[in-house]
Amino acid sequence: MEPPFIKKAGLMRKGGPLMKEKGRKNRHLANNLTAYGFMLPWFIGFICFTAFPVIFMFFVSLTNRRLNGISQFIGFTNYKNIFASSTFRNSFKVTIFFTIVMMIVTAVWALLMAFLLNYKQRLNGIFQFFYFIPSVIPSVALAYAFRTMFGKDAGLFNALLSSISGSNVRINWLYNERTVYPVIFFITLFTYNTGQMMLIFRSGLNDVPVDLYEAADIDGAGFWTKFGRITLPMISPVILFNTVTGSISALNGSFALLYPLTGDTGDPNKMTQVLSLLIYNEAFSNYKVGYGCALSVILFLLACVFGIALFGISKKYVYYEN
Amino acid sequence: MKTKKVLCGILLITLISGLIIGCGKKDGKQSSGDDLAGTEITLTVWNEPNKNDELNMYLQAEKATGIKVNVNVIPESEYSSKLNQMVATKDDSADILIVWENDIRNFAETKGIIALDKYLENSSINQDDFIDAVAALTEGLGATYGLPWCAATEILYYNQDMFDAAGIPYPDNNWSYSDFLAAAEKLTKYNDDGTTAVYGFDLPNTQTWWAGIGGYGDKIYDPSTGRMVIGDGAVSFIEDCAEMVKKGIMPEPSSDTSDKFAAGKAAMSWMGSWNIGAYGDKLDFNWDIATIPTNKIKYNTLHTGFYTINANSKKQDAAWKVIEWLMGEKGQEINSKSSGNPSALKTIADKGAWKVESATTIDNWDAITDSLAAGVFGYTCLPSGVTNNAISLFNTALTGQITAREAVDEAMQYAAETIGYSLK
Repeated sequence: MEPPFIKKAGLMRKGGPLMKEKGRKNRHLANNLTAYGFMLPWFIGFICFTAFPVIFMFFVSLTNRRLNGISQFIGFTNYKNIFASSTFRNSFKVTIFFTIVMMIVTAVWALLMAFLLNYKQRLNGIFQFFYFIPSVIPSVALAYAFRTMFGKDAGLFNALLSSISGSNVRINWLYNERTVYPVIFFITLFTYNTGQMMLIFRSGLNDVPVDLYEAADIDGAGFWTKFGRITLPMISPVILFNTVTGSISALNGSFALLYPLTGDTGDPNKMTQVLSLLIYNEAFSNYKVGYGCALSVILFLLACVFGIALFGISKKYVYYEN
Repeated sequence: MKTKKVLCGILLITLISGLIIGCGKKDGKQSSGDDLAGTEITLTVWNEPNKNDELNMYLQAEKATGIKVNVNVIPESEYSSKLNQMVATKDDSADILIVWENDIRNFAETKGIIALDKYLENSSINQDDFIDAVAALTEGLGATYGLPWCAATEILYYNQDMFDAAGIPYPDNNWSYSDFLAAAEKLTKYNDDGTTAVYGFDLPNTQTWWAGIGGYGDKIYDPSTGRMVIGDGAVSFIEDCAEMVKKGIMPEPSSDTSDKFAAGKAAMSWMGSWNIGAYGDKLDFNWDIATIPTNKIKYNTLHTGFYTINANSKKQDAAWKVIEWLMGEKGQEINSKSSGNPSALKTIADKGAWKVESATTIDNWDAITDSLAAGVFGYTCLPSGVTNNAISLFNTALTGQITAREAVDEAMQYAAETIGYSLK
């Protein structure tokens, strides 16, 4: 029953102001619910396959869960054991080294390739195609192919060097402490991440206003001055993006590259046993899932630290036009 | 607007239906007794069945029992971890799990597999006939949870043609370790530039490293404590291998995965007895076998897999019927002929079906029986992460990056951290 004053004013009559307002609110709610309804599959997928596993990982890291499912709460014992372990300390150092160097090597190479592709020349599309082709090969397949090529007795590179030098070259590329890192960083130049960086750099380079270069030419600036004073500052947001994604790729994606190349023991002498390999080793070879989850939490925190550090550095070095 | 609402509604209904169907319980009935013929079961294993139908024991089991056997091959490198995950998630996709030595106790304790005693009571399988090592391995479980599918051992393979060319008498089962080292040196052939053309002895693999270490007197695995026990014996064997690598007698560890013995690039190799079946008559040279020549005691590691029944299987009776056939004389005979591995049942092993017919150049079949007699379940009872880490360290010592003592100490330290005991 409507209150008398509302009935007198005809506020609730069809087409009246309150009804119009109510109708607007109902439509607004219906629209919102429809939108959430369409987003629901993604939400469910995100909760089931991302959020829940991450939260579960935190909880499992506080237990001594084995691969067969047996589990007991042990608090922070896994973390205490991790920090007391020389294997972890070595793996942590290798991870930091590998991530920083891979980030620099792949970014520099991608920028160089993007720069070369930016020149107006014939058959540019074909060059881009061939530069990008190795990136579409799955990392594992790529790693196994390179492992064969860098083999000691039957490898392609040793055969090439033997035919060039005329002597029997038998370099143990992947098992020698002096050559293993250069080989691995060479292989990272052909991964998907590097190809993607190249395309993003190319896009960034295209966006640098040409009149800046023209003005610099008029002032008599050389190539390196233009590169340092115009190109780099103008593409600095792209550099930031690529270094952040590059570091995350190095931290998380190194497993697919390193496992086929050097095994989960990180041969030779654990020089390539990054945290992702150690996690796999502990969880699936030693069946210590709880311990593996604790290592995963540490890897997650390391990725956060890298991200925060890079964004912190970006405040000083990244130039945003606006 | 109306279309959007309808679409949203359809999507929601589809999603909810999908969730309900996905989370619903499977309806399975336990097949039993006389209606087993026509049942389908799944068996997990880490190697492909023999391509020859006569030597495919699963196919023959199908014909004999009328039960269809689907073979699910899981790669060896992930086999144990996959099975552990299946047990943890109470997976019922496989009925028969062929379980490794280091997993059977674990699966029994977590009730991932069932005790077979109720079936064995009415079976003709004689458990007293198993080799002693098998009985010792499963002691203390309180029941019989698995039946060993074979008893594989490790032996020396040698290239007879190379021995003939070098004028060295063939090794026998009493060959001494020093004779072996001397022969390896003499059999090595070098190129003009000093690199090795043919190695006297191939690098030990993940199995046979332990034969050399155990042969030097180290215990390797202590079943009473579950610990890895290596020391001076391991140091000595690593130093012997390092010396051979330095002289070019043995290849240094590398990323190459080729079988140098089969390729004719190594005169001798220590490998599992199952390679006899793989080589057969396919090699381009005459070859034979002998027991592994070790320094102080005869030692090699026994390998087996246990036929077990998944506790979550809905077809346990059918699974048992297939296992019973596979453990019978015919099943064991086919397994032996196919793989070259003797049966773990002594009376069946004595019949000699493991003498692979296609391996026509082998005369010294006694190497298998002698190796079995000296075999123990050693490193296979340790977590694979611990043993792989140790092998990696031993190989690093061969390249000179660390000393043999450092490798052994680090391996022991890692084993202690992983298994959970103190070295002090």
